[in-house]
Amino acid sequence: MVREFKLPDVGEGLTEAEIVSWLVEVGDTVSEDQPVAEVETDKAVVEVPAPVNGTVREIRAEEGEMVPVGEVIITFDVEGEPVEPMESDEPAESDDTEDEAGVESAVSAVDDADDEPAESGTATKGGRTFAAPSARRLARELDVDIEAVEGSGPGGRVTEQDVRAHAEHGEEEAETPDEDAEPAVKSATREVTDEPAEHEVTEAAGAGTPSVESADRDRTLAAPATRTLAEEEGVDIDAVPTDETRDGEAFVAPEQVREYAEAQRAAQAADAETVAEAVDEVEGTEADRVERRPYKGIRRTIGDAMERSKYTAPHVTHHEEVVVDDLVATRERLKATAEERGSRLTYTPFVVKAVVEALKEHPILNSQLDEENDEILVNHYYNIGIAVATEAGLMVPVVENADEKGLLAIADEVNELAGKARDRSITREEMQGGTFSITNFGAIGGEYATPIINYPETAILGLGSLEQRPVVEDSGASETPRTSGEAASGEVVAKHTLPLSLSIDHRVIDGADAARFVDTLADYLENPELLLL
Amino acid sequence: MSSQNLTLVQAVRDGLKCELEHDDDVVVFGEDVGKNGGVFRATQGLYDEFGEDRVFDTPLAESGIVGTAIGMAAYGMKPVPEIQFSGFMYPAFDQIVSHAARLRTRSRGRFTVPMTLRAPYGGGIRAPEHHSESKEAIYTHEAGLKVVVPSTPYETKGLLAAAIRDPDPVVFLEPKLIYRAFREDVPEEPYTVELGEANVRREGTDVSVFTWGAMTRPTLEAADNLEGEIDVEVVDLRTLSPMDWDAITDSFKKTGRAVVVHEAPKTGGLGAEIAATIGEEALLYQEAPVKRVTGFDTPFPLYALEDYYMPEAARIEDGIRETVEY
Amino acid sequence: MVVGDISTGTEVLVIGAGPGGYVAAIRAAQLGLDTTLVERDAYGGVCLNRGCIPSKALITAADTAHGAAHAEEMGIHADPAVDMKGMQSWKEGVVDQLTGGVEKLCKANGVNLVEGTAEFAGEGRVRVAHGGEGQGSETIEYEHAIVATGSRPIQIPGFEFDGEHVLSSKDALDLDSVPEELVVVGAGYIGMELSTTYAKLGSDVTVVEMLDGALPSYENDVARVVRKRAEALGVEFHFGEGASEWEPHGEGVRVTTETDDGEEAAYTADKVLVAVGRTPVTDTLGLDAIGLEPDEDGFLATDEFGETDVENVYAVGDVAGEPMLAHKASAEGEVVAEHIAGEPVAMDFQAIPAAVFTDPEIGTVGMTEDEADEAGFDPVVGQMPMNASGRALTLAETDGFVRVVADEETGFLLGAQVVAPEASELVAELALAVEMGATLEDVGRTVHTHPTLSEAVMEAVKNAQGHAIHTLNR
Repeated sequence: MVREFKLPDVGEGLTEAEIVSWLVEVGDTVSEDQPVAEVETDKAVVEVPAPVNGTVREIRAEEGEMVPVGEVIITFDVEGEPVEPMESDEPAESDDTEDEAGVESAVSAVDDADDEPAESGTATKGGRTFAAPSARRLARELDVDIEAVEGSGPGGRVTEQDVRAHAEHGEEEAETPDEDAEPAVKSATREVTDEPAEHEVTEAAGAGTPSVESADRDRTLAAPATRTLAEEEGVDIDAVPTDETRDGEAFVAPEQVREYAEAQRAAQAADAETVAEAVDEVEGTEADRVERRPYKGIRRTIGDAMERSKYTAPHVTHHEEVVVDDLVATRERLKATAEERGSRLTYTPFVVKAVVEALKEHPILNSQLDEENDEILVNHYYNIGIAVATEAGLMVPVVENADEKGLLAIADEVNELAGKARDRSITREEMQGGTFSITNFGAIGGEYATPIINYPETAILGLGSLEQRPVVEDSGASETPRTSGEAASGEVVAKHTLPLSLSIDHRVIDGADAARFVDTLADYLENPELLLL
Repeated sequence: MSSQNLTLVQAVRDGLKCELEHDDDVVVFGEDVGKNGGVFRATQGLYDEFGEDRVFDTPLAESGIVGTAIGMAAYGMKPVPEIQFSGFMYPAFDQIVSHAARLRTRSRGRFTVPMTLRAPYGGGIRAPEHHSESKEAIYTHEAGLKVVVPSTPYETKGLLAAAIRDPDPVVFLEPKLIYRAFREDVPEEPYTVELGEANVRREGTDVSVFTWGAMTRPTLEAADNLEGEIDVEVVDLRTLSPMDWDAITDSFKKTGRAVVVHEAPKTGGLGAEIAATIGEEALLYQEAPVKRVTGFDTPFPLYALEDYYMPEAARIEDGIRETVEY
Repeated sequence: MVVGDISTGTEVLVIGAGPGGYVAAIRAAQLGLDTTLVERDAYGGVCLNRGCIPSKALITAADTAHGAAHAEEMGIHADPAVDMKGMQSWKEGVVDQLTGGVEKLCKANGVNLVEGTAEFAGEGRVRVAHGGEGQGSETIEYEHAIVATGSRPIQIPGFEFDGEHVLSSKDALDLDSVPEELVVVGAGYIGMELSTTYAKLGSDVTVVEMLDGALPSYENDVARVVRKRAEALGVEFHFGEGASEWEPHGEGVRVTTETDDGEEAAYTADKVLVAVGRTPVTDTLGLDAIGLEPDEDGFLATDEFGETDVENVYAVGDVAGEPMLAHKASAEGEVVAEHIAGEPVAMDFQAIPAAVFTDPEIGTVGMTEDEADEAGFDPVVGQMPMNASGRALTLAETDGFVRVVADEETGFLLGAQVVAPEASELVAELALAVEMGATLEDVGRTVHTHPTLSEAVMEAVKNAQGHAIHTLNR
């Protein structure tokens, strides 16, 4: 009988302990209560006694190992009881020389004979495997260790189904042989010996100085002497540019090799210089002269959007200066009333209304380009984005259906959205869905600019600062040279003007459309009472 | 279609049998080929089956054997004389080059010599002098002769049949080292394997190895040993004259590197011919010199040194590596 | 060949055409491997020519003669005359038929047969010397070699076989007259079979055995049945005595024996048969040419596929180890051939049955009770005495018993020992049970024909289960 001994609870509610040292070896005779191991709790080292008289059969934990309480750490053959054979995977040697009847079987399956012993298998015991020959063969075929299979037959006999089930349930598969090691030698036309230096040189040259043309072929025809020359010159013959062909394949002659090598050398020299300079610069810069800031978050998002818009749409910006004395006066008049009603009235709402009217007359500026379907979507609703400069960057909240809202309503909404943008409480939805945008950099300063369109719109209006500027006046008092169409002949006077910068996506909108739109817009801005119509 | 599992020499016998059946003009003769069935059993049983009018023994007189064959052939028969060992062909050399090779030209086509001269050739069988030669180059050098060297049982029967049916003299050299080395399925009925066509025994992309006869086996072994390291193409030329230049250049243009393996001595051997022609036809594709792995420029050694003389897998592998690493 | 040595290539070279070799060769050829079988003597090996077959032929003849002469109880009165020459001639006929059959089978399956003595000449090469006139020798190059050279009788010092006075088992089977007196050295299965046979033919047989009992490799109660029967036939047993020397004595011999204590005894007879065991044949193979060495008992160690320490060289049969039985050789031969052909086979036989053709016969398979115990099983045993078998009674042969050994917990059959008429046949069913991992229930529930001896098997099984009908349960 085999006596298993589990790590006892050594006190203090410990759940595991470390085996400090073994005091016995496999095969030693022990008497009951003889210490067999030293085990460390968190307070002290404790001796663990043998539970029986007998011999040490198996030691299952290693010195230094943390073992959970209750786990078997050592087993004993009890004195006076027959010794059971160890379960092992090695083929049992036939110890019957004369007894023809007692042949023990060599049980292990073909591969994996060294895998863990059959803890779960039921077929093997005492040197016998209880499975029909057909089941044993199937196990070999499927590379299953029959000792590990749980048998469903009587007494645990292993059937073919058991073997199959075991094979399917992801037992460790036999290792598949690795793919043959990668061929160390490359094939035909390449230089077969490793000449990394040349390769690097040519590649570095190629990368650093685009002015040296390189070819990139799989094979090149060349006379052996030419190949030698290429080697001497340190160039890859497959990289030497050539127009000549023989037999349908690229052909390189010695001069081409020489030319290419020359060019490479020159390029490398130039490259070397640049590199040297850059190195100098970099080396001269100390940490405090360059500040590194992370490019991410909102800044990055804005950057990506700008990049996308600018690099997708061909931008053209149309500039115009509009005389807005009337607008200024109108706003003056309305300002007090607005305040009474709790609104702060800036010029922005007027511009929004004017833009809406102008868009109604020139709908092509209120559009989107559906590149996927090759369609221009002309919007017949008016969601106007108002750009707001915030600490985090430029944001463009959208006033929806601006055509349905009155001046004060727009003013309120704009102010509200701007506030939200500045204190970062604005939602993404509030910044989506625009059909046209307005950016008022003039609030900060400046006359003209080339604003970037707010993708996926096709136009954006930039407003410069509204202030008095010199304007040439016509003899007719309120008419401007533009509206009259006649060349001005009058004096230079100071008037309130508003510089406009309209950027358009020239894929969809032509310069003429832009000009006409701005004309219309200017009409409304110069004569605000037109907005009443 | 029924087939039999035959060794190379059994395939020779089978080929002769089928041709004797197929064409009444075919006759087989030589030293010991009749009643004895041939010293290698290549003609075993044919005398009993076809009688002494078709299969018969000759005196020990090579010149006479070949001369008689030429005469028979010129008058419309299809003689298949055997020279017991290729090393004994020299007494018949004059007949071969002065007459067999020339008769068509000399008679402006009125007379041809559809003779197939069979001889076991090559070393490795522990035989005394004159029994191990490999002098195919001498015969390829003679315009007017075809030279054929099979390497497998299936090809042997087919090439022999094609040679016998060919209207011109064919020197059919049988690699006796591998007469019984392995068996292959050979169809029972007659068939031919085209002369003048090489056979790609193994495809590869890194290097082309050209070989024939008994050397195909160590060459294939070398190629297998190099598997994973070098991708070797092995081309068995089968007919040495006319050589399948298209196959050779096609293979070379693919790989750019070549090795020729033959047991014949190096100087003047066919390796030189192949190297020169490759240079002419495909110089621009060449990445390395054509390597020749061959017998040495010495008389064929006796017994104890034989294995050092003949190229074996290790020496062939070295040659391949050298060529690939050039 | 006239000049030169052209090697013949082959995929599988089998050396020895005994039950191990010819089976391996035929199987290999069936699986499409190019196979060559080399044999220096006769197809079928010792088994067909000088062992199993001739001995069983003589045993049957002896049984027939003896049986007829002792059937008065059945109302048959006869006094058969034994013509040994005639018997030998019949025996030869049987042997020839079988060896001819083996040759035909080999050829029919495409095996290349080569006559001669094979010797390894280096890696992958074997030299075959053709005996007598003819072709001298040839070289065979192999990819796989199977050594199946079998065994030969052990010759004890002082008792060199001469075929005249000192006989080996082979000689004993070729006698063309029945010796009046015969001394048999060795009470193992060969000694016992031949003693019984000659005793039945009328010889006065004395058996001398060094160990303490007859058939020492069988359990005492099994051996006892056979010994008692032999004694009843007139065989005299002397245990604990080893044969030390012999000298001619008139036309015959005088054999001197010695006990452990040094006591001597002497026995006279016409001839002395020495049957003390067999030893494997490996000394003629040139094994050092391939670096292979037999172990201290002369066997070639092999793994579960039959492969020796040298790659691609296999060994099957007597030369590969115990048990030295023909059917074990054949089974191994098949496994090796299939393994070479790439099939997923291995030597994982659960048990190899054995038989002794004494009177009564012995048939055993698997573990004895003690062996089962040692192996860690909790054995349960069931037994059925033959004198309770109806069929045995009708055969007038009631000595012996059937015993089965099973694992108590699971019921798996672990082994069986049968001492009974036709034990050699009866054990086949039990071998199947053991090999399949059958339980007592499986065998006990299988209906066995009545009236047959095989019923005793069923009864013994039921006895182990405690519900036998025709015998008292333990």
